[in-house]
Amino acid sequence: MFAWRGLQRDFRSLRGLLTVTRDAQRCSRLPEGRLGSRRCLRTSARVYIDVIKDLERHLASGARKVADALPGSSWSPIEINPNLPPECADIVIVGGGVVGWSIAYWLKRKERVREALKVVVVERDPTYGRCSTVLSAGGIRQQFSLQENVYLSMVSADFMRNINDYLGVLNEDPVDIQFTQSGYLFLAGEEGAEVMQENHEVQRKAGAKVLLLSPTQLKHKFPWLNTEGVALASYGLENEGWLDPWSLLNAFRRKAVSMGVIPCHGEVTDLKHTTNVMKTSDGEKRTMKRIKSVQVQMPNSLEFQPVDCTIVVNAAGAFSGRLTQMIGVPLPVEPRKRYIYVVHCPGGPGLDSPLLIDSSGIFFRREGLGGNYITGASPTEEEEPDATDLEVDHQFFEDRIWPHLANRVPVFERLKVTGAWAGYYDYNTFDQNAIVGVHPSVCNMYLATGFSGHGLQQSPAVGRAVAELIVDGSFQTLDLSGFDFRRILADKPMLERNIV
Amino acid sequence: MLKILIPTLMLTPTIWFSPLRQAWSATMTYGLLLATMSLLWLKHSSETTWTHMNSYMAVDYISGPLLVLTCWLLPLMILASRGHMSLEPAERQRMFLLLLTTLQALLILAFSATELMMFYLMFEATLIPTLAMITRWGNQAERLNAGTYFLFYTLAGSLPLLVSLMVLQNSTGTLSLLTLSFNHFNLDSTYSNKALWVGCLVALLVKMPLYGVHLWLPKAHVEAPVAGSMILAAVLLKLGGYGMMRITMLLTPLTKDLSYPFIILALWGLIMTASICLRQTDLKSLIAYSSVAHMGLVIAGILTQTTWGYLGALTLMVAHGLTSSALFCLANTNYERTHSRTIILIRGAQLILPLMGTWWLIASLANLALPPLPNLVGELLLIVTLFKWSTWSIILTGAATLITAAYSLYMFLLTQRGPTPPHILALEPTYTREHLLLALHLLPLLLLTLKPELIWN
Repeated sequence: MFAWRGLQRDFRSLRGLLTVTRDAQRCSRLPEGRLGSRRCLRTSARVYIDVIKDLERHLASGARKVADALPGSSWSPIEINPNLPPECADIVIVGGGVVGWSIAYWLKRKERVREALKVVVVERDPTYGRCSTVLSAGGIRQQFSLQENVYLSMVSADFMRNINDYLGVLNEDPVDIQFTQSGYLFLAGEEGAEVMQENHEVQRKAGAKVLLLSPTQLKHKFPWLNTEGVALASYGLENEGWLDPWSLLNAFRRKAVSMGVIPCHGEVTDLKHTTNVMKTSDGEKRTMKRIKSVQVQMPNSLEFQPVDCTIVVNAAGAFSGRLTQMIGVPLPVEPRKRYIYVVHCPGGPGLDSPLLIDSSGIFFRREGLGGNYITGASPTEEEEPDATDLEVDHQFFEDRIWPHLANRVPVFERLKVTGAWAGYYDYNTFDQNAIVGVHPSVCNMYLATGFSGHGLQQSPAVGRAVAELIVDGSFQTLDLSGFDFRRILADKPMLERNIV
Repeated sequence: MLKILIPTLMLTPTIWFSPLRQAWSATMTYGLLLATMSLLWLKHSSETTWTHMNSYMAVDYISGPLLVLTCWLLPLMILASRGHMSLEPAERQRMFLLLLTTLQALLILAFSATELMMFYLMFEATLIPTLAMITRWGNQAERLNAGTYFLFYTLAGSLPLLVSLMVLQNSTGTLSLLTLSFNHFNLDSTYSNKALWVGCLVALLVKMPLYGVHLWLPKAHVEAPVAGSMILAAVLLKLGGYGMMRITMLLTPLTKDLSYPFIILALWGLIMTASICLRQTDLKSLIAYSSVAHMGLVIAGILTQTTWGYLGALTLMVAHGLTSSALFCLANTNYERTHSRTIILIRGAQLILPLMGTWWLIASLANLALPPLPNLVGELLLIVTLFKWSTWSIILTGAATLITAAYSLYMFLLTQRGPTPPHILALEPTYTREHLLLALHLLPLLLLTLKPELIWN
């Protein structure tokens, strides 16, 4: 008993040594300074200052004082832009979206010795004004028709559930991506029911917990839903939901920077490469290119820095095609504009509302707890909007979305559009699936693009896969060799039937 | 003597006034010719130790092999630099060749000097072309830092050497090596004599380098271009060893006691730097640290002041010069293709460049002192010498041999074997010039395996 008291006193005194308590009011001290017998007449709360946490601040202010006291100034005639990327780097990741930062994080995790790899992430717009990541609806689902896609989403969902184990930084606030777990509800009419059943088989075989519902079960579960015209519905039971993409991006970036990745704010204007004509074993000639350096231009300036690099990772999202054009190699990825409208409907579906995707192509999900919903639709090929800017077409909502929405959820007949934005899909025009792997003609350019709307949800898993490809030489945990660029050359599409 | 030195100096007009392409080929061919002629220095036809004499320069048993190594290295450096120098403007290429030739001439003068003051002057003079090479033609921004470390570490050590040499000149009246061997030195164990001992040796220990003052070496080796790394590893480090062999002759009875801490530091450095090699991520840094390890053994051998110690030191210096230079050339072949020195990015290269894999194998096996290569002969002689000096040293040297084998094999297996990442599948095939370069490095090594008496007598 007394030992415990003594231990408590010791611990308190030790803490007292490590923290400096500054009282708002001066307390009166007894002449003998024995700890424990001091009485203070304090009326305000104690303010603890952790000296160790403040150490860096104290050291910096001390250094500044010394520098001020010493003669001379820190002016130098050569103005060196502190934002310049290093002259050479091992890996340059072009594109600072969630896929780019995910690859950077996983590369740093997989290097076996500290600072083995020098990784630079180049992003041209630090406000992320046109970045697909931050403009996305932020959903994650497992209901894909390709097994690889299901695996990618399952792994990523697991990552996001335990995100602080992966992306938590010591002494900083924990990561909160506001992962709202809720299922996706796909509705299918008569024509689509068979496809939905096949997809369901694939999903179940991959281990995803997805439930098929009949119209009566659907009506029983979601009474606010109008099940007219619905033959079958598919409801995800776990690993699905939506999250805040901006927090995820920042979490990846913060952790990667803390591990030593160098962020650079600049635009890649050129890829200096060498061309080599080589003969295959059959005797035909192939042109192989190798990127020697990346020209990074500083913002609002003519200054540029050529970064000599070993590997370039193309994670530029919607603008990946523009990057490969600099090296003269085609890539079937182009930006496609998609709209998202924020609507307010007081009596709408409550907490149990899933992310509903109708057979007509429209989708909606709950946003927050105030009766706001996010809705959108994938346009058909004919009604593709012009992707030169991010202006929102409100007529699209009136013509294409509202009728189907009101038909499916009768409450939504009376809603008010409170806001809208547009974002890009990095749309793979070949088969709407990711392109992951080395480009066959450019020896050292890795591609991680073409996600066509499901990049955010697959980003942790794809980042790990690309890092494995670079560091280990081949995929270790998930085999994504089906997403290689060669399928485009061989004209064998890996079609994903469940595109939202 | 002069028939090698004057042609080397006359390479200057060759470089400056020939058309550029011929400048490279001519310098390299003449360099090979001079290297062949320098083999005559290995033949000692007279009874005295000194041969090929003139009043300022001479060759004896210790300087002969090192001189041949120096002359051999010039054409190899020129061959190695053709790749990365081809992109530079003409004047800079000529300047580079001029630096290499000047360095060569200064090194010939340094090794063949008969007067210790001349040796000191040439020792200092070699710093300037090397500094210019590192800071001007190095690849990264860190080269400025590397140049500063390189210059000031050596300069800080050599000022005491200058003072000590002046003191010796005053006390003995001459610093000519030809006559100093006949002076019987018997230095008393006073503080000033001990300071003299330390002053004489600290510059050479920094140059070798000894473990505690070795920090300049990884920086300088990594940031230098390939020719700079080659000459640094192969010859400039041996300047320190050669100087120690000469100067300890003048410091006779003191060395027995005062060398104790330096031998211990050298042996400890052997283990420490070998262990550091296992954790390196940069290929050139790994080879640089292995140089420190081998030279630590050489320092320990020289400081024991025994015949076998000197023999082993000389053998290991020559063998290590060739091996380390070969390894730097191999690292450069990787660097020119992928522009990276990181080991984990260039793996499994044997599948793509199989013949280069053969050279990697031979060079790595030489580095880990595989019998019957002269690396092993040198190491064995030194280990036995140290065992005689103290039985306990076998623990350190044995552990170091083990770790040396570990990191040499680690380097070989990581770069050559294992899974090949997709981004190095289409590397340029090996040029004939690179094969020639490595053959010229490793053939003398094999030759020395068959007839080590070439460098012993």
